[in-house]
Amino acid sequence: MRCGLLVLIVSSGVALAAQRSAVYDSERQIRLEGAVTRIEWINPSALLFIDVRDAGGVVANWAVEVGNPIDLERNKWTRRSLRIGDVVTVEGVPARGLARQALARSIMHKATGKRLFDLPAPRPAAAGRTAPAPRWPDGQVRLGPAPGQKGYWAATGVRALVESTAANVRMNDEGLLANLADADRVAPMLPWAKAIYLHRQRTLLKDDPLTRCMPPGGPRQFQMPNGVQFIEQREVGRILVLMGGGNRNWRVIYTDGRQQGQAAEVVLTYYGSSVGRWEKDTLVVDSIGYNERFWFSNGGLPHTEALHLTERISRPDLNTLRYDVTVDDPRTYTRPWTGGLTLRWVPGEDIEEYFCEEGITP
Amino acid sequence: MRIVVASLIGLVVALRVFAAAAQEGHPLTGTWSGDWGPGAAQRTHITMVMTWDGKTVSGTINPGPEAIPVDSIGLDVTNWTVRFEADAKSASGPIRITADGRLDDIASAHRTITGTWRQGTAKGDFKLTRD
Repeated sequence: MRCGLLVLIVSSGVALAAQRSAVYDSERQIRLEGAVTRIEWINPSALLFIDVRDAGGVVANWAVEVGNPIDLERNKWTRRSLRIGDVVTVEGVPARGLARQALARSIMHKATGKRLFDLPAPRPAAAGRTAPAPRWPDGQVRLGPAPGQKGYWAATGVRALVESTAANVRMNDEGLLANLADADRVAPMLPWAKAIYLHRQRTLLKDDPLTRCMPPGGPRQFQMPNGVQFIEQREVGRILVLMGGGNRNWRVIYTDGRQQGQAAEVVLTYYGSSVGRWEKDTLVVDSIGYNERFWFSNGGLPHTEALHLTERISRPDLNTLRYDVTVDDPRTYTRPWTGGLTLRWVPGEDIEEYFCEEGITP
Repeated sequence: MRIVVASLIGLVVALRVFAAAAQEGHPLTGTWSGDWGPGAAQRTHITMVMTWDGKTVSGTINPGPEAIPVDSIGLDVTNWTVRFEADAKSASGPIRITADGRLDDIASAHRTITGTWRQGTAKGDFKLTRD
C-alpha cells in the first residue's frame, strides 16, 4: 500500500510539473469548501487535499495547489498554518478535464473568517534608476552584488522572447500566444519550425522539456520565474550563471580570452560553449554547441544544433539588467533575429533553491 | 502483495517514460529503426539515418556495407506526411524504393513514421520509430 501511495505521489508531481497553462483552465473559476485531509509541503508546489461535498451529498477529495513552499513561507504561510480537519474555502482555477485538482488563488479559514492565503505577490524587485551599477576596483561593471551585499536578478513584466521589431505580440509569461496568427511575428521561422512551434502552442506547451527538469539553455535561463544570479570569478576568468530552480546546474561563460571552438569540435550540451568579452560596459557572449534536447525560449521556439547565440548583457544602473540576444540558426530561422528582456534586481536575497529531480518532482 | 508488485511496475514504467529526453529540433533528424513487409509474417528490418542541413533532409537506409543512399526525402509540415525515394542495389540493377508515410507523435523522443513501402514490384506497410 505504501508503494501504491508512492506511485500516486510520483504521478502527481509529474502532473504538477507541466506548464500551468496545460494543467489549469484559467478561463474558469472554482470555489471549493471542505475539510483538510492532508498537507503535502513539497517542491515545486505545496498541496492541500480537501474533502468537498457536492450538491448531491457525494464527497470527493480534491488536490489544491497552493504554490512553492519558499514563496509561501515568505508570505508567512507555513505547513502548520492549517491542521487536518480545518474547514477551508478555496477560490481558484480548476484543472482542465475531469481531474479533481485546482490552483488556489485564495484560501479562507471558515471558522475564523481569516484569509490564510492569497496568490503570492511577485518578488519585491527594486524600482527606478536609484543608483549607478556597482563596479569592480578597475571600473568594470559588476553583474552580481556589491561586496558584502546580496541580490539576484528576477524577470519581471513580460518574460517572453520575441523579435524586437515585432510590436504588440501578446503572450503570457509561459510564452503562450494570445493569438496564434501572431506566430510569424515572434521569429522568422522556417516552415518546419513554425509547424512545430504551432503544435507546441496548440498543445499548451505540455511537452516542454523543462517540465522534465531539462536545463533551460540560452535565453531561457533568463526567463526563469525564480531568477538568475551571476558569480563573477575573475581570478579564473569565468562567470557562472546560476538559476533559481531547475536541477541546480549552472552555465559557464569563459572570460579568460580563449577563442570560441569550432562547432564540430564542441561537445553538444544544454548550455553550449560560451565565450565572453567586455565591450565597455556590455558583456558580449558568443555561444555555440547546443544540443537539441531543450527549448531555448519559453513558448516552444525550436532550434537545431546549428544554434549560434550572441548575447549582450549590460547593467545600465543598479536595478536594471538588459539582456539582448541575436539568434542565428539557419536550419530553423530564415535569418538571424534579435530579441531581449529586462530583468530587475532583487536586493538583499540569494536566489532560492528549488530542486528539480528528473522524472520525479521538478 | 499484488498491489505492491503493480505499484513497483508502475513506478518503473513512470521513471522510464519520463527519463527519455526528446530530440526537439527538426522532427526527422536522427536514427530510425523498424521494418517493412507485405504482412506480419514477412518483415524486412530497416535502419534509417536522417539529417537536416537547413535546406534538405538527407538520409541513408541501412548504413554500412549495404547502405542505400536516399535520393529524396520530403516532409509536408501541413499534414506531417513524409515521402522517401531511393534505389536499392541488386544483381539485376537498381530497384526503386518509394515510401509514403505519416509522422506521428512528433513531440515524443520515439516518434513514428508509418505508411506504405514499395520496393520494385513489392508493396507493403512500414513503421519506423526514432531511436
